[in-house]
Amino acid sequence: MEAEAQAALSIQRSGASNLGVSEGLSPSLPAMSTHLEETNRDQQVSAKRELMMGASATRSSSNCGVVGHIFSSSSGFTSDLHYSSSSPHEKHSRNAPFVSQAPTDVGSFPLPHSTMSSHYNKENSGSWCTDPGFLDFPVSTPVQSSQVESTDCSGIMTSEDLCKSNEWQEWADQLITDGCALASNWNELLVDNVMDMETEVGKPCTTISEQKSQVHQQLPSPSVAGRIVVNSSSSANNAPTKPRMRWTPELHEAFVQAVDQLGGSERATPKGVLKLMKVEGLTIYHVKSHLQKYRTARYIPETSEGSLEKKTTPMEEISSLDLKTGTGITEALRLQIEVQKRLHEQLEIQRNLQLQIEEQGRYLQMMFEKQKSGLDRLKVSPSNLENPSTPSDATAELPAKGEPEAFQSDRVNPGTDTVNVKSMLERSSDEMGGEQETPITANLEKADTGVSESSSLPCPFRSAINVNPLDICLIIQ
Amino acid sequence: MKFGKWLKQQIEETLPAWRDKFLSYKQLKKLVRLISLAESPEFGKVDAEAEFVYLLNNEIDKFNAFFMEQEEDFIIRHKELQQGIKRVIDTWGPNGTKPSEAEYIDEMAKVRKEIVDFHGEMVLLVNYSNVNYTGLGKILKKYDKRTGRLLRLPFIQKVLQQPFFVTDLVSKLVKECENTIDEVFPVEVKEEIVKVQREAITVVGKGVFRNTVTALLSMQEIRRGSSTYGHFSLPPLDLPDSDLIHSFQLNSPIPTV
Repeated sequence: MEAEAQAALSIQRSGASNLGVSEGLSPSLPAMSTHLEETNRDQQVSAKRELMMGASATRSSSNCGVVGHIFSSSSGFTSDLHYSSSSPHEKHSRNAPFVSQAPTDVGSFPLPHSTMSSHYNKENSGSWCTDPGFLDFPVSTPVQSSQVESTDCSGIMTSEDLCKSNEWQEWADQLITDGCALASNWNELLVDNVMDMETEVGKPCTTISEQKSQVHQQLPSPSVAGRIVVNSSSSANNAPTKPRMRWTPELHEAFVQAVDQLGGSERATPKGVLKLMKVEGLTIYHVKSHLQKYRTARYIPETSEGSLEKKTTPMEEISSLDLKTGTGITEALRLQIEVQKRLHEQLEIQRNLQLQIEEQGRYLQMMFEKQKSGLDRLKVSPSNLENPSTPSDATAELPAKGEPEAFQSDRVNPGTDTVNVKSMLERSSDEMGGEQETPITANLEKADTGVSESSSLPCPFRSAINVNPLDICLIIQ
Repeated sequence: MKFGKWLKQQIEETLPAWRDKFLSYKQLKKLVRLISLAESPEFGKVDAEAEFVYLLNNEIDKFNAFFMEQEEDFIIRHKELQQGIKRVIDTWGPNGTKPSEAEYIDEMAKVRKEIVDFHGEMVLLVNYSNVNYTGLGKILKKYDKRTGRLLRLPFIQKVLQQPFFVTDLVSKLVKECENTIDEVFPVEVKEEIVKVQREAITVVGKGVFRNTVTALLSMQEIRRGSSTYGHFSLPPLDLPDSDLIHSFQLNSPIPTV
């Protein structure tokens, strides 16, 4: 059991070298840290070495890397998973990648001399067992479940995509029994760590679990709370990777107060500041680096009387016909600020547009999924559809292509009015381009068939769009 | 213009010091080509794809780390600036401890310059975030196109939640900076600005200003109609002061440390 745990952790660490360590791991497993560090370094070295090498070795290391990656990306990109208690859903979504990812690196690659993979195989051959619970996971239909569930892991999508081809499904079926136990071990580890963390990390739990809102200022408590992002800087840093703290002005304020209390930035010590701040989840490393930055920021102004020589440029650089006068300089600055404001404005607009576009794409994708599941159900009763096989075949085919295509109306139930979905998209993107506002006022005819369950879609734009589910056979790219 | 080229230009002209913090677009593009060319011994192909995702994740980590580091710096400097202004006003201002108009003007000028440059740096960081996001979107689109997979949509959903993309805090600091500037700058300058804007040519030297002008122009360039315009493309950039900004003459850039 311990060997498994070690193996699992070593893989975890390999991912961690890239993505950062789960916050849960570091406080809870100090004993293993040295071992892990070595393994980490070894893995890094071996992973790097083998990426350079030929076929099989490269395969193994990169795939192993992906596995470790995915695992800790599930921890990295959604740190709230670690802090909030694992709900079954979260557990499942964490399991899913393992199950489907397991085929890629477990079975077929004979791994010659990668230290990580040797850990892997050694432990795996003996210790993996069947876990019936995992057989429930829809590895055979990765498209549906994973794409809806796997919003948590960045790497999941690839694993699911990789599973799409038939060969991979065979892999999955074959190896799911092998792969599940490893995943369950990791999961247990995570759960354990979450339990530990929950007792330690008091207040930030709530704030971190609200990370989904992704706005720092919306913290519930007026007092200080940072956001611990489970992420690490590059592996150029020292091996014990620390989760990164995302600082906020409020947190900084508390920091400054603590420092002042201790007699100023020169006299304050990280330990003292940490103690005074009393922010749970804040480590001495965070404080140390922040203090260093703080000192640097203050030192330069103090030595050069208020001007940051490094950052500012001599005023003579900006010149125009009459900008060299005193007011001229101010005017130049004014001009500069106007340009900068303009840039910022455009960036914000662009960002909002991008968000909207993706939101729309996601919505349509969801609709497509719903329709697909609706169609699958309809398959049972052929009387509803004139061509029961055609739409579902077509929808099965379309995922293989990456292009957005609209279903031609002759391929769908001719009994309903159909509108080309592509034109809907174009219309809405035109509107977006023209007005830069929330678009989607396109209307599609509702289906007259009895596909009632598909029409009750919990979608954000529900009020704006009446979509014919049967017509949405479109792959959003 | 091809994105890879544009990206390189962006980096070199705005923030060459941050060169390796930007997306390794070229590398990823090569990998995508490799993937699409790979014959289908399934392992070879999957291998390259796995590496692709692995690289992407690395890139995202890189962005996150850099972005948050810069953000932290900005938070600190923002506060220091505010305090600096206060100090100047309190010391050399009319109601200060050692009121002196000459000193006041002098120090205020320095402070103003600092604030404006600081503002510019923050905006450049937001620009950094945006450029990288755009690059990611493009490379994912390429990937989907070449391999027939559906990586883009879900992956980009993840990206949207990444710290480096959530630029709310920096934007907030930018806005606060603007407010401070409004307070700190004399009012009558505004009419002067209108006059200046009517001047034909402004030579923009080195510095943050130059970088932001370039960034803005580049953004306009990249958002011009493209050959692969689709429903996931952004519309062309609508820039009111386009003429003025285009009239800037740009010298070679200075790295922003």
